[in-house]
Amino acid sequence: MTADGEIGTRRSTLPEYVLRPTSGPYRSLNPATKLIIGIVEVVAAFVVGHWTGPLLVLLVIALVGWRAHVTRQLLLVGSLTLPVVGSILLINTFLLPGATDAILRVGPLAPTWSGLAFGLQVTLRLLAISLALALVYLTTPIDDLLSDLEARGLGRRLVFVVGAAVNTVPRTIERAAEILDAQRARGLDTEGRFWQRARGVLPLAAPVIFGALTEVEEQTMALEARAFSAPARRTVLRPLPDSAAQRLLRWALFLGAVAAVAGEMAGLLRLP
Amino acid sequence: MSIRLVIESVVFVYPDGTRALDGVDLEIGPGELVAIVGQNGSGKSTLVRHLNGLLRPTEGRVLIDGRDAAHFHVAQLAAQVGLAFQNPDRQIFAGRVRAEVAFGPRNLRLRGATLERAVDEALDAVGLTGAADANSYDLGYSRRKLLAIASVLAMRTPVVVLDEPTTGQDARGVARVRSIVERLSAEGRTVITISHDMRFVAETSRRVVVMRAGRIVLDGTPAEVFAQPNWPALASTYLEPTLPARVGARLELGSTPTEASLVAALAARAARAAQEG
Repeated sequence: MTADGEIGTRRSTLPEYVLRPTSGPYRSLNPATKLIIGIVEVVAAFVVGHWTGPLLVLLVIALVGWRAHVTRQLLLVGSLTLPVVGSILLINTFLLPGATDAILRVGPLAPTWSGLAFGLQVTLRLLAISLALALVYLTTPIDDLLSDLEARGLGRRLVFVVGAAVNTVPRTIERAAEILDAQRARGLDTEGRFWQRARGVLPLAAPVIFGALTEVEEQTMALEARAFSAPARRTVLRPLPDSAAQRLLRWALFLGAVAAVAGEMAGLLRLP
Repeated sequence: MSIRLVIESVVFVYPDGTRALDGVDLEIGPGELVAIVGQNGSGKSTLVRHLNGLLRPTEGRVLIDGRDAAHFHVAQLAAQVGLAFQNPDRQIFAGRVRAEVAFGPRNLRLRGATLERAVDEALDAVGLTGAADANSYDLGYSRRKLLAIASVLAMRTPVVVLDEPTTGQDARGVARVRSIVERLSAEGRTVITISHDMRFVAETSRRVVVMRAGRIVLDGTPAEVFAQPNWPALASTYLEPTLPARVGARLELGSTPTEASLVAALAARAARAAQEG
């Protein structure tokens, strides 16, 4: 017989996107304000000049990202776009229709200056768009964004669908890890060569997919059992901080974006 | 067929910093029938996952039949230690029951008649022979749980670990699990069960290990562990002694963790009273 023991402590295992801090000048903004800023950045990257818009947006994102301590994550997002932007750059440099200002000729290949410039512009735009949306995502708890959008009139069902999809991700990862363990415990070799690891995909896929579907179905039924579809107007359980200044900013940004699009279409913006 | 399991000063810390095992020493001899009990989060499942290498100790070592588990892949250790997980739905993937049961032994390179025999025996042991060709997902939860157990039995490992085998089982299912455990033990295999069902633990096991906060706080026979002096230790990990144990203690019959032991103690008292009277 033995007798011993002390109670230990457990740390929180909440996913990172739930625990995101909301302090600091940018992070503490209302989610809708950050979303509008992100959308305006996307519009600006598209319509303001050839170089000015995307470069300006990237500069703003870099500064804000640095202040919000998400530079490393933004660089990671940027690197994920490399295969796409790299392809765009190569295709335009070598195959831009009508371009004749060849940089050099190597057999049938003739990269052009105008193709390179156009490819770089598209690349900068795509980077700016990706990073603008990533910045909003990285600095805003998903629950805050969804509840704020719901409070502003976004459909409850849409909010639930998005929320369920997002929340399913960490649970699915956790489930997949346990399923993998269960199959490894039955001798599935996942520590060997590539084809051995690839064999492990099938025993994983079925329980992961069926499990996720069952879970969402059960969650839906549990919500319905708690009057999710009741027509009554909901009270906002946790109003997120907002201010007159932010409301003004959102309107100004919105109108500015409309003006930029109109100016571009009318040929009034002649930025490089 | 039986092997010795030795856990030496094992500490395990999860990546989030949770110290799930805090210096566990445990030796389980060949053919032992052991239950590991404790509150949720006490480290039971973490401990048994060290036995087949799913988890590797942060400190300390695990010896399987004298050999350090650190030197073997999970797939190699799976031939020694079969582990049926608590949730069958995180294990079952094959469309047919027979294919599900054959998955483990096929990974262990069983083929042909040997494989068929292993599958048939495992299905027979859990009472699913009639459902061999059924779709795995058409079975109810209780039978899916038995299917998960069968899929481990078919691997014919010297050590079988059953994580919460009675959860979700009705009385018939619990009786079925008990008969499986007794049969495995009779074959000389080492059986380790994790359970919150104290009646099942007391009636089925010959040794009970109680865990709390990553440490072993009690280790002995059911009669020893469920004896009244240990009730505070059991309570500290949110476990209750069995009803016969409480009745036996109230009647001052000693430690009577099972109905059988309670009846025997009552009969012995009656016999003594008859002799004295």
